[in-house]
Amino acid sequence: MHIHTVGDYYDTPGDQPPDLKAQVKDATGQSVRRIGRFIQLALIGAGRCVGKATLPVETAVYFASGRGDMEITIEVMQQLFRDGVPPKPLSFINTVSNAACFYVAQSFSLEGRSSFICNRYFAFESALQLAMLDLESGVVDSALVGVVDAVVPPLSHHRQRLQLDARAPVADASHWLWLGREHNTGPGEILAVRHCADWSALMDWIAEKNLPQAHTQLSAGQFLKPSDGAALRDRWGFGNFEYRTPRAYHDSHSGAVISEFLHAENASQFLLHINGDDDGRYSLMLAGRH
Amino acid sequence: MARPAFIGAGIHTVLGRGVAANVEALRAAPRPPQPVPVEFANQRETVPYQLLADEPQDHGDQRLWRVLENVIEEAFEAAALTPEQRRGAALFVGSSSFDISASEAAYRRDLENDPQALPLAVSSSLGNCANRIRHRFDLRGPDYSFNTACTASANAVLYADALIRAGIVKHALVVGIELFNVITAMGFYSLDLLTRGVMKPFDSERDGLALGETCAALVLGPCNADHQFQLLGGANLCDRHSISAANPDGSSVAQVMHQALMAANLHPANIAALKTHGTASLLNDEAETAGMRRVFDQALPPLCALKPFIGHTLGACGLGELILFCACADRNFLIGTPGVCVEKSDLGIVLNQQPSALLPADFMLNYFGFGGNNTSLVISNR
Repeated sequence: MHIHTVGDYYDTPGDQPPDLKAQVKDATGQSVRRIGRFIQLALIGAGRCVGKATLPVETAVYFASGRGDMEITIEVMQQLFRDGVPPKPLSFINTVSNAACFYVAQSFSLEGRSSFICNRYFAFESALQLAMLDLESGVVDSALVGVVDAVVPPLSHHRQRLQLDARAPVADASHWLWLGREHNTGPGEILAVRHCADWSALMDWIAEKNLPQAHTQLSAGQFLKPSDGAALRDRWGFGNFEYRTPRAYHDSHSGAVISEFLHAENASQFLLHINGDDDGRYSLMLAGRH
Repeated sequence: MARPAFIGAGIHTVLGRGVAANVEALRAAPRPPQPVPVEFANQRETVPYQLLADEPQDHGDQRLWRVLENVIEEAFEAAALTPEQRRGAALFVGSSSFDISASEAAYRRDLENDPQALPLAVSSSLGNCANRIRHRFDLRGPDYSFNTACTASANAVLYADALIRAGIVKHALVVGIELFNVITAMGFYSLDLLTRGVMKPFDSERDGLALGETCAALVLGPCNADHQFQLLGGANLCDRHSISAANPDGSSVAQVMHQALMAANLHPANIAALKTHGTASLLNDEAETAGMRRVFDQALPPLCALKPFIGHTLGACGLGELILFCACADRNFLIGTPGVCVEKSDLGIVLNQQPSALLPADFMLNYFGFGGNNTSLVISNR
């Protein structure tokens, strides 16, 4: 499917994260009140992706996150169990993660499909796969696909929740693609998104694709074992596409790689991105540049 | 790829444990919810709830996993999948709350020892329920967790069907989870949307919803018997009218129903019966009625509602109500809600009153949720 545009936001906030209202206004042209940082990040990333374009009204939104809007849930839990205060109505409604989809749809006047999908290791890949499913079957013609991870300060608590080292750098991130069935002047295309149950299935898929070694780069997902990454490079001889250094931790690094690939000056024609989980499953994305 | 069928189901609600127990209970009249104490910090409120039958609350985290495992086992057993087929199945989970009850229990325990304890110190990912299910049942296919409020597990069904039709997997397990948790209980309390009696959707005396617990599981796979239910088509759309309610003029509700019919290649007249969303809240019922009128005009099909029986089970209602509707239809009856919306209400509609005969046909099931998410499914057991 054709990539019309991409857009990203990435920052490493401290214990006092920056106010994002101005960036939301800048990205979407609108001031949106009574929303938390998670929704603000979604709007900024989506807004930067859409830019000055007018999306077709039936554009579908596929939105993912590794952990959803933790900030609002933490706030509500503390108010309830620590302070004995019931949640305010809007706070409660916003604990449902697809509230972000609503605000994205509202900002760009969209009335198409809308899904919030979560997956611990493959959040972006899962959303992208469902978008591709709908695009390839013709159910939708235009799709906005995004992933957001938000830091919830203080950083020490955020690291603890994410089970990171005490000094691990952490990031806010919002990565979006606008995809369509029709080709336009966009920078590239998504050729495939696949889940592989094990190493053997992954190898079989790559073999079947017969990708040109000289024109394909391999990027390693953040949860792929280094030994798997090395084995893949040794076996297939693909060049390495490095996008993660020096990226701070957030759950969905995979959301960044397509955009980085399309913007890289010396990138190959094809990018094969492979991520893995603790159970020996793999998720891959294959992208191409125009 | 051939259209998959619903080949095995499991469910646990206030009506009972297992599909058979639930169907039996649906032949009788709905009962009111019970007042459930909700304790948080040094506060105590009472919230009407339809709690799971035979599964006392323990405010811990084992109840969720115990119920879930039993329900999934029931579905797998009914589907008779081989271990290899299970391993290859995709997993779709739909919920509003996932395992937040476990997180709440952990936070409460931690607060007893440390007033500065962290909420969400454990299980901070919405994908963790899916991971636990995968490990327990050795599932190696892809997994997707949907968090789209009251349409979550309906959307999960939509995509499970699509993934199989695309030939990506042969089987899928769809799970709907919604258990009692303080956030949900007090959230709806704050919204002032709760009734203490039997829910009365579309009734002139409707006065709100009762929350309910459900765990449900459905296996989709190749058809292996006559008259198995299949998804003919469905639609999911975003309603920008409001984050908490559909457009009261019914336009967005009608749009999703029209799209579902188009996807199923059917006309409104083909729908033999319709399962309403029916939350008995003023805003929903008004919008839903207006939407149905736009689609069916004066020729509404027989309408039924499940929430008077099991409460509003939020993210699990898509799958739970689908399973119950299909199970009753398999036994050739349409659910009736005696005493609820008996005569034409201020909204001008009536609900089916008594369990009534139902032949194999095409049916529609609707769901509308917070965050402007609307979903309509068209199913058939012809």
